[in-house]
Amino acid sequence: MASLTFDALSKSYGANTVISDFSATVDDKEFLVLLGPSGCGKSTMLRMVAGLTDISSGTLKFGDDVVNTLTPKQRNIAFVFQSYALYPHMTVRANIAFPLIMDNFRWWHHLPFVGSLMRSRLLKRPDITAKIERTAEMLELTDYLERRPKALSGGQRQRVAVARSIIREPAIYLFDEPLSNLDAKLRMQMRAEISALHARVQKTFVYVTHDQVEAMTMGTRIIVMNEGVVQQYGTPAEIYSAPANEFVARFIGSPPMNIFAATVRDGLLYVDDVPVLNSAGWAASVVALGLQKVSLGVRAEKIGLKSPGESTDLLSIEAHTLVVEHLGAETVVGVKTGPVGATVDVGVGASRGLHYARIAGEEHFTTNSGCRITFASDAVHLFDPETGTRLEH
Amino acid sequence: MIGRRNLSIGVRTLLALVLVILAGFPVFWMINTAMTPVDDLYSNNQRIIPDFSRTLNIFQVLVSDSPFLRWLGNSALVAGGTTLLSLLLACLAAYALSRYKFVGKGLMTFGFFATQMLPEALLIVPLYSMFMTLGLLNELYGLVLVNTAFAMPVAVFLLKSAMDTVPYEIEESARVDGCNALTILQVMFIPLIAPSLAAAAVITFFDGWNEYLFATTFIHDTSNWVASTGLASFIGEFTTPLDMVFSGAIVFTIPAAIFFLLMQRKIVAGLTAGSVKG
Repeated sequence: MASLTFDALSKSYGANTVISDFSATVDDKEFLVLLGPSGCGKSTMLRMVAGLTDISSGTLKFGDDVVNTLTPKQRNIAFVFQSYALYPHMTVRANIAFPLIMDNFRWWHHLPFVGSLMRSRLLKRPDITAKIERTAEMLELTDYLERRPKALSGGQRQRVAVARSIIREPAIYLFDEPLSNLDAKLRMQMRAEISALHARVQKTFVYVTHDQVEAMTMGTRIIVMNEGVVQQYGTPAEIYSAPANEFVARFIGSPPMNIFAATVRDGLLYVDDVPVLNSAGWAASVVALGLQKVSLGVRAEKIGLKSPGESTDLLSIEAHTLVVEHLGAETVVGVKTGPVGATVDVGVGASRGLHYARIAGEEHFTTNSGCRITFASDAVHLFDPETGTRLEH
Repeated sequence: MIGRRNLSIGVRTLLALVLVILAGFPVFWMINTAMTPVDDLYSNNQRIIPDFSRTLNIFQVLVSDSPFLRWLGNSALVAGGTTLLSLLLACLAAYALSRYKFVGKGLMTFGFFATQMLPEALLIVPLYSMFMTLGLLNELYGLVLVNTAFAMPVAVFLLKSAMDTVPYEIEESARVDGCNALTILQVMFIPLIAPSLAAAAVITFFDGWNEYLFATTFIHDTSNWVASTGLASFIGEFTTPLDMVFSGAIVFTIPAAIFFLLMQRKIVAGLTAGSVKG
């Protein structure tokens, strides 16, 4: 049993607080992904779980045991580093076997000269050899066991790092952006391999990434972090379909969720002084919430594009196309509200206030042409424009 | 184009040749002088090509007329001891300076540096008094200690710079795998900084091998002399057997040259390649 409990965990470096009051409970055998932009504190969090960084305040529990003061070794964890951290002077075989060998070390084996003698003896012990062979076979490394890390490709090195982590069968596996140094194709392959590994070993995984695709495809639970604060904790589906705030809404999904800053005026919603047709009901709801302004969030795939004159009973805003990206199966169209020429469309101004619609590949739009953005009521997420938090409606 | 390239190669070869001659001539002259009878050295019978037929003879004279082999052995003991002790202590100090934060770290670094500022001659009197109190006079291990004191700081700086380049992830990974600090130093750092360790070994060995001032001051007993003191003792008040001095110099040079050649092969870079993605 290796559930993880973070209880008001904080990390500060002097006056600089990197993580504040982090609380969450992760059940045994979950694949938890810590997701967030660079510098949000997710790697620091993982290092605190590993015991490589001290915890400033709060409690961290593995199962029912408080592990705050335990060494990495005592926590029975495996850590896969972003940079692999293979031992360059050892063969792949010795690299994979190293944690197992250290497990079998007595205190006096750490003494000079005794250690190297014991390491080479343990490396030849039949049960350890068998385990190395089995792990290498599992990760297709059998042919490379006698090579040094420098003679391996990036993907192979990554697999050695994974092999080294699984050989000891730890209670918790920790991954610190392990795929960020691989190319796109290899990353996809390794994603599948790590997911398969989780299914096979049935242990708790904690995986740090800034890549939402990795988080959505691999995680059974995701913690979205920003500036050291947990933004949302939930399943990938919950986080995608009901983001807790504007940050999560825009961080998850590609292209990011469209956020329209809307104002209630004359019983209708207005976005950038352009009326949102059929929004009388929404305007009333917003007023009922005691607000005059609100952020409307709509996913790109929930937005439809129609010709300017076309009638619709959906919510719709007059707009014009600015960017059209044909991706084959689908087309991503960048639009701005208002008629053609209503906005600054050059330089930095071109990308400011751009909203995206993801439509079927066979629909054709040209740039700089008028259109209507349409979306159904049930596709709308409401956010408080001041705090960014989700408003239930 | 090819002509210009050839010219450039020619100029470079010529320059290299000049440097080789400049560096090699004293060695050649040492061999030549050793092979020439003393009388010929002061006459017009100077030879340009060494008379190698005298080789065996002069070394026989050197060994039979003086305990030169014993002195050479003493030198090896002192230099070897200095090297081992310096590297052992320097590894520990460099590891602490490279990877730990502790009170007085800056002061300690400065202390190491300060030892290099003081000339040995300045310290000879206080050291003599200290050696006398501790009963280290006339002892070879006393020489090892004093040589280590001067050689170790250089090794510390060299090894600390090398340890600074070892990625933190390797150390952290070893910690996760269950290594303590001493094991990390032995199993990870020492193999990874082997080239710098070899360079430090060369420096500390030569410090011990070539040292003269302390050896001549602290060791009185002829049988405990090291080769550098013994070699200097050939220079007499009235006569100096130059052939013997130079043949002694040859014998004195050979072990050091062999040690250097052995170590030189270890001084190779790029050992950490492939450990972490760069």
